[in-house]
Amino acid sequence: MNTETHEHIVKSYDTELARLTGEIVSMGDFAGMQLTRAMQALATRDGIAAQRVIDNDDTLDAKERQISADVLRLLALRQPFAGDLREVLAALRIAADIERIGDYAASVAKRSIVLNESAPVPLATGLPALATLAGDMLHDVLHAYETRDARAAALVWERDDKLDARYTGLFRELLTYMIEDPHSISACTHLLFIAKHLERIGDHATNIAENIWFAAYGSTLTAKEIQRMRGVSHPTARP
Amino acid sequence: MTEMLLDTSLPSATLTEPESVQTSSPATTKLATRGLNFHYRQAHALKDITLDIPTQQVTAIIGPSGCGKSTLLRVFNRIYAVYPGQVATGEVLLDGENVLDPAYPLQRLRARVGMVFQKPVPFPMTIFENVAWGIRHHEKLSKADMAVRVEQALRRAALWDEVKDKLGHSALGLSGGQQQRLCIARGVALHPEVLLLDEPTSALDPIATGRIEQLVDELKQDYTIVIVTHNMQQAARISDRTAFMYLGELIEYGATEQIFTQPDKRQTEDYISGRFG
Repeated sequence: MNTETHEHIVKSYDTELARLTGEIVSMGDFAGMQLTRAMQALATRDGIAAQRVIDNDDTLDAKERQISADVLRLLALRQPFAGDLREVLAALRIAADIERIGDYAASVAKRSIVLNESAPVPLATGLPALATLAGDMLHDVLHAYETRDARAAALVWERDDKLDARYTGLFRELLTYMIEDPHSISACTHLLFIAKHLERIGDHATNIAENIWFAAYGSTLTAKEIQRMRGVSHPTARP
Repeated sequence: MTEMLLDTSLPSATLTEPESVQTSSPATTKLATRGLNFHYRQAHALKDITLDIPTQQVTAIIGPSGCGKSTLLRVFNRIYAVYPGQVATGEVLLDGENVLDPAYPLQRLRARVGMVFQKPVPFPMTIFENVAWGIRHHEKLSKADMAVRVEQALRRAALWDEVKDKLGHSALGLSGGQQQRLCIARGVALHPEVLLLDEPTSALDPIATGRIEQLVDELKQDYTIVIVTHNMQQAARISDRTAFMYLGELIEYGATEQIFTQPDKRQTEDYISGRFG
């Protein structure tokens, strides 16, 4: 994963790696869309739209299976080494993270359907903001993956703290609602779970960032690595 | 209670230390080069090579054709000396002694450093004589002792069971893989300390290749092995350390695991992953 990487002597190898990248990005975009639609369905109490999100999860699962098959074939037929090997391994892990993100989006949709059965509660104000934060992290980390920009991935990685802080804030907010009005406990519990799903989506976006970093440099992305990245050009810069 | 709940719900940011790549430094050095240069005619085939080859490990030398890897192997046991106009400068240290020193007896060097070539070259004689011939050059043994030594060597080369009933047959009747193991037997019969293998499996099918690779794995308990190979997967499979050479220079040398997962140099990465240099 390096922008100045030379082409393979066997051209079809590059084509296959590029296709793998394309599949991951397309799968990621789809998961991001699922999240947006699930949040819309929740806000508008639209059960049909929510059901569509749930049904679409199969598509995401199929995309993941396709990527797994492609990775298996690449490993068996190309026997990649070094950066190629790390990239293929990262692709497999990233696909698994995106699949989980899709699951969480579907879970949000499922809970929105349950919420439609009870009286409307005002959405905790922090919830859409939390979804936006998580969705933006996913969007940006996918862009970092597509452009092979490990530094951009590291910046997404750092944003997870902000998401976690927001989640904690939302937790307190919902708790306050429940204490004030015990009738809202059932609905607020669902909202709390939704908040947790969004927080977990952020964690998976963070995992993706770690895999982009690993593919590029072969090292583990840590706060220390980011510090070093800011200080010098790069910890494992090549000549 | 509320605070406790909040605390447990907080994400636990466990930041691990960056893992350092394991480069397992060799215990002791068996063979080493210091500022080694090699010229023949106008060509500068080896450029200032300095490396330490650890004892009882397998070291692979990889690189494109003409990079100097076979030349390096040939310098290790001074085979080049039979050709006029070939000059090696610098040092090749075997247990700390410079074997390039003309005072270092060639006979002694050849007994300590055995070599197996790309194409198996059995002598046109019996299987037994192929192994005994080299031993006779260096030692005077009784007939019984010789038989023991030949059997030992053939067993060591994992060939005994296949040839024990036809030791008097011509070695030329053996398959390619058997011939190559016979050459290895011939090498180990002299109890060398270092075995040099120059693309020993490039003419063999995958089964015979597998046997040789298994053999190399067993032999490293007793010998220091240096293998030149064009097959990157083979280097990855059987070596502990890998040296990448390009245009007569040693570009990178390190633990095989590191070279094939996370090489330091761009040139190494490009070569092992099949890219343009």
